[in-house]
Amino acid sequence: MKTPLAATALMLLGALPSGAGEIAVEAQVGYFDMAAQRSATALFGSSGGATFGGAVRYTFWRGAFASAGVRTFSKQGERVFLISPGAPIQKLGFPISLTLTPVMVSVGYRFRHGTLIVPYAAVGAAITSYSEKSDVAGQSFNDEGSKTGFVGAAGVEVGRGRFRFGAEAGYSSVVGAVGLGGISKVYGEDDLGGFHAIGKLIVAFGGKPKTAKP
Amino acid sequence: MRPWAAVAVASTLAAGAALLLPVRASDDAPYAGQSRPSPSRAYRAGEVIVAFRDGVDQPDMERVLRSGGATGARRSRFGPRVLAQLEPGLHVAEAVEWFSRMPGVAWAEPNGLLWVGQGASFRPNDSLYRIQWNLTQINAERTWAIQKGSPSVAVAVLDTGIAYEDYADPRTGQTFRRAPDWGETRFVPGYDFVDDDAHPNDDHGHGTHVASTIAEATNNAIGVAGLAFGCALMPVKVAAADGGATDFAMADGIDYAAGYSDGGSRPVRVINISLGGEGFSQTVTSAIDRAIASGVLVVASAGNTGGPVTFPANQPNVVAVGALDALKQKADYSSTGPELDLVAPGGDCKRDANGDGLRDCVYQQTFTEAVEAGRYDQFCYCGFAGTSMAAPHVSAAAALLFSQGFTDAVSVRTALEQTAERLGGAPAGGRNDTFGNGLVQPAAALPGLGFNVGTKK
Repeated sequence: MKTPLAATALMLLGALPSGAGEIAVEAQVGYFDMAAQRSATALFGSSGGATFGGAVRYTFWRGAFASAGVRTFSKQGERVFLISPGAPIQKLGFPISLTLTPVMVSVGYRFRHGTLIVPYAAVGAAITSYSEKSDVAGQSFNDEGSKTGFVGAAGVEVGRGRFRFGAEAGYSSVVGAVGLGGISKVYGEDDLGGFHAIGKLIVAFGGKPKTAKP
Repeated sequence: MRPWAAVAVASTLAAGAALLLPVRASDDAPYAGQSRPSPSRAYRAGEVIVAFRDGVDQPDMERVLRSGGATGARRSRFGPRVLAQLEPGLHVAEAVEWFSRMPGVAWAEPNGLLWVGQGASFRPNDSLYRIQWNLTQINAERTWAIQKGSPSVAVAVLDTGIAYEDYADPRTGQTFRRAPDWGETRFVPGYDFVDDDAHPNDDHGHGTHVASTIAEATNNAIGVAGLAFGCALMPVKVAAADGGATDFAMADGIDYAAGYSDGGSRPVRVINISLGGEGFSQTVTSAIDRAIASGVLVVASAGNTGGPVTFPANQPNVVAVGALDALKQKADYSSTGPELDLVAPGGDCKRDANGDGLRDCVYQQTFTEAVEAGRYDQFCYCGFAGTSMAAPHVSAAAALLFSQGFTDAVSVRTALEQTAERLGGAPAGGRNDTFGNGLVQPAAALPGLGFNVGTKK
């Protein structure tokens, strides 16, 4: 039973257009800057920081691909009080941490597939989990939830072999998850998304590399 | 008899008692090796402990500290570590990260806080604490678990003076005694604008009672507690032995308190005025304006007429405080109106509505009735009622917020108003003329705001 299935799969792969069938695993590291910049700066001193993650990409037709990945981003700071956006920020010394974990599902297209430098663009959904943790003398002030938004990204991949490198910049928008209380309400910021710039180490498997014509 | 009721609950007190310090800093690094603030610990804002490796000399230490934005530093006498004071605006977490990367630094970490019996609440062991329904009403035990007050924050009590020192007045021959339950409460030098000298001793009892609500020694096994017992007091005598104050003395007192400087720092962050009257004074109002412009919060009693809020509480930049009884109902004497900002326990000495066997006064240390015979050395834990007793609860709450790291008086006022317990059907965030914004709840104001989590009652 297994043998005919495997044979069928191989036949289908063989029938796919050039580049199709490639599966790539990506390790990602880079920078993320929160869209809720003022809220983040008030609590954490800055809105940006390191982000880490990974993704799996499947090229299903020519350069068209589908990708699923997850990244994590966290900040630590202290609780504050603020009357209004222009008022002085009162720092209170109680630690607070924030962790964002977006799961991104996207589709995109890799242009000039098979060449040394492959530009690509992708759009998709960002399902962002959010966790705020803070403790004030034994009382927890925690919050968590998740919200779906969109993500768009563009980048380049360098290399032809199994191991490649990539760089990507993109923007996600996940509105409505925050802004209901706390400092994000004072600033009127409700977007958990933001700008990202990441580097990738890519390991590719399968597919039919496009050969350059003489 | 005085205009406010007085009920003695204890006989004359013996002076002197050991103070059990409930808060102390550890000499040892509690989590050496970590370079990031632990999210489970509270730490003091604006301070970082920097531990240097052996052999790092003083100039190198100073260079490192300056590079990280330290504006001051205190070197430990017991080890190669320094407590760095950060520039205003610098985040502790970022400073820790910076210092940790510097050559010669063994570790850097926030100046964390430790509590004896740390937990969700702090119950003091003062022998008569159980009769302080007023402190229960404003959730004092939870408040103390968060903040007990900093001696660098002072509340100026503009009143009849405070029984804060043993003093024989060579001019009048009067002998004043320090009230017994001050423990280690710090007193900032004040002034007597009635007698024009530097000895603002109480010759009435009202001021001592008011000051005791703010910072009577607490957790020392005797007497009763004060809400901001870690904070300092400044006695400013503006009212005479008959309880009357002049606008001139009041304005002088406000200017003195707001302008007082101690080695460049201004300890007075709150002025409590448990006095009031009809009419208006430009002199007093101007002094209040100057105080507020200099960043001081002015809190005043709303008045005991049951009518409109009295002066100076009725001024818009003054926090006007009305009184509640032990059942969280408006005290019948408490003035009301659109100028009313907050309410706090003021008591009702005519009845025992809460059934604890005592009349529902606010009990603090003060003089016995012997004061009426000119004796300033006989003390009791006595009960008074009035908006005079309510205002110091709010002043103490404000002092606790300043101790926690608030630097802006307008923010303190807003935080107290936003987090007050709404009463009398006022909607969330709303007010009414009977209770203002509601009952002050410092434990709700102290935690401030998170990213998406606001205050919790």
